[in-house]
Amino acid sequence: MTCAVETKGLIKIFRNRWTGKEVRAVDGISLNVEHGSTFGLLGPNGAGKTTFVKLLLSCAHPTAGRAMIFGRDSRESEARRPAGYLPENHRFPTYMTGHGMLDFYGALSGMDATALRKRIPELLATVGLAEWGAVRLGKYSKGMLQRVGLAQALMHAPSLLVLDEPTDGVDPIGRRQIRDILQSLEQQGVTIFLNSHLLAEVELFCRDVAIIHRGKVALEGRVKDLTAGSGYRVEAESVPERLQKELRTKAKSVAERNGHIEFLFGSRDEANQALDLLRAGGCAIETMARTSSTLEDVFVKTVNEQ
Amino acid sequence: MNSKTGIVTWALVRDTFREAFARKIFWGFFGCSTALILFFIFIMKIDVVEGAVATVSLFGNTTRGHDVQRLVRQAHAGIAAFLYTAGMFLAVFASAGLIPTVFEPGRIELLLSKPVERYHILLGRYLGNVLVIAANVFYLVLGVWIIFGVKTAVWTPGFLWSSVIIVFVFSVLLTVVLLIAVVWESAVVAMMVAFAIMFMSPILAQQSLLERLLTSEWSRNTIRVLYYALPKIFDLGRLARALVLGDPVIDWMPVWSSALFGLVTLSGSLYAFGRRDY
Ligand SMILES: Nc1ncnc2c1ncn2[C@@H]1O[C@H](COP(=O)(O)OP(=O)(O)OP(=O)(O)O)[C@@H](O)[C@H]1O
Ligand SMILES: [Mg+2]
Repeated sequence: MTCAVETKGLIKIFRNRWTGKEVRAVDGISLNVEHGSTFGLLGPNGAGKTTFVKLLLSCAHPTAGRAMIFGRDSRESEARRPAGYLPENHRFPTYMTGHGMLDFYGALSGMDATALRKRIPELLATVGLAEWGAVRLGKYSKGMLQRVGLAQALMHAPSLLVLDEPTDGVDPIGRRQIRDILQSLEQQGVTIFLNSHLLAEVELFCRDVAIIHRGKVALEGRVKDLTAGSGYRVEAESVPERLQKELRTKAKSVAERNGHIEFLFGSRDEANQALDLLRAGGCAIETMARTSSTLEDVFVKTVNEQ
Repeated sequence: MNSKTGIVTWALVRDTFREAFARKIFWGFFGCSTALILFFIFIMKIDVVEGAVATVSLFGNTTRGHDVQRLVRQAHAGIAAFLYTAGMFLAVFASAGLIPTVFEPGRIELLLSKPVERYHILLGRYLGNVLVIAANVFYLVLGVWIIFGVKTAVWTPGFLWSSVIIVFVFSVLLTVVLLIAVVWESAVVAMMVAFAIMFMSPILAQQSLLERLLTSEWSRNTIRVLYYALPKIFDLGRLARALVLGDPVIDWMPVWSSALFGLVTLSGSLYAFGRRDY
């Protein structure tokens, strides 16, 4: 099956016209984003996320390598037809109204007048701007611009949605709305490619992630696998002294906090044996869970290791 | 596919019109044109008796006994000359602000990500800008021409042709604005270069005289090359005047050589735009 996004050895070197100084913004990135996936591209500031997306949508030309959308080189204009894009730091023309803007960008995607008339009010309602269609963008707040920008990206019902910091400047309720919209798109099989700093959000929403650092992929995989830890945590109450001693020899670590004792075991079998002992000893079990790290832990670790 | 090309072109042209009218300067143009048209409708009174003008009155000052055809042509020529100089100046000034806005970061990325070829985006914007100015020039010229025609029964088409020349010269100058906007993204530089070409044109048009004055072969060649390479705005002005007054046009070289300049500049901007990173 062809991937929604596929890059092969993508390199972008910016060269200063005067000093000749080079910046390797994207330094040999090969990534595959499966059709229907929700993909998060993470990385510290200046890692090359925006540059990668610009190469993908042919706003900039790669120094080497190829970027493909559904198997076609994105430099062909037709290859970009299934893609919807919300750029970072966009500055939509302020003279346009919300309606006029959707009309303009929809037409550039090849939508005819009938399709536009039907689609525009629908989308304005979806992003919660139904009453704002006739108002000039100059009067929109930052979060509203972000929403109308999202509507713009959705105009032609794209099968790949590329969003560069989509929740930038949006309040928590708006963020929730945006996440709901994206979730329903995901259910319709739309591939979603997200650049974001908000790791908690990515962790909630994305299935796959790649962390890039200084233009290179530092880590990639399923969110589920990356955040899964290798150990098991057992937390119990009123553990007798004798049992504590016995379990301390088996556990990797033991911690005590406000009357609860927390044991960390290396395998599931060990954890289960401990559970049997604890239950036999009449202790109340508070939790038994697989340990996991947050995406933030993974991110910080990956970036610091580099 | 063809209908898609049409949709996209139309959207780009319409967007240029919208942006133009969001700027007060274009409303100013249309306001002035309308004022001039109204002026000729209500203020100018002409009584024509058997092909000759009996009286022409402007603000109550009356003159008598003119050859009506000559008088109308003179009036046409006056308006055309005004449009060709001051009008052109303002049109370039206004357009220099209109073109580079499309290349602003945050705006261009979205255009480039659409399934539209880069040359199409640039040509659509260019066409839109030419049409904004053309609409204004034709509105004024056609309006005045009809008023004069109705009042004097003189319907010489030369005036209409002069408006075509005006739009043509503007469209050539706009290619310069476009090229500089793509390469340097600066409205000010674009304007300065376009104005420099306009101001140099009457000087270069005296190239036969200049060649006699200049001593070195090198400087004579420079003048000659500049004259033939750059758009011949001064010569085209004379050509427009000849068309209005009904004089014969001897030499069409200024037209095709200026068109050639425009084509080369336009191709240059298409090439530069195609290669740029945003
Ligand atoms: N047009 C350009 N010319 C020169 N250098 C550039 C250009 N665009 C980006 N860069 C450089 O490329 C690197 C990557 O920038 P990019 O905008 O892709 O980072 P990012 O990962 O999106 O960062 P952020 O999280 O802050 O949005 C940076 O060092 C930046 O300075
Ligand atoms: Mg970025």
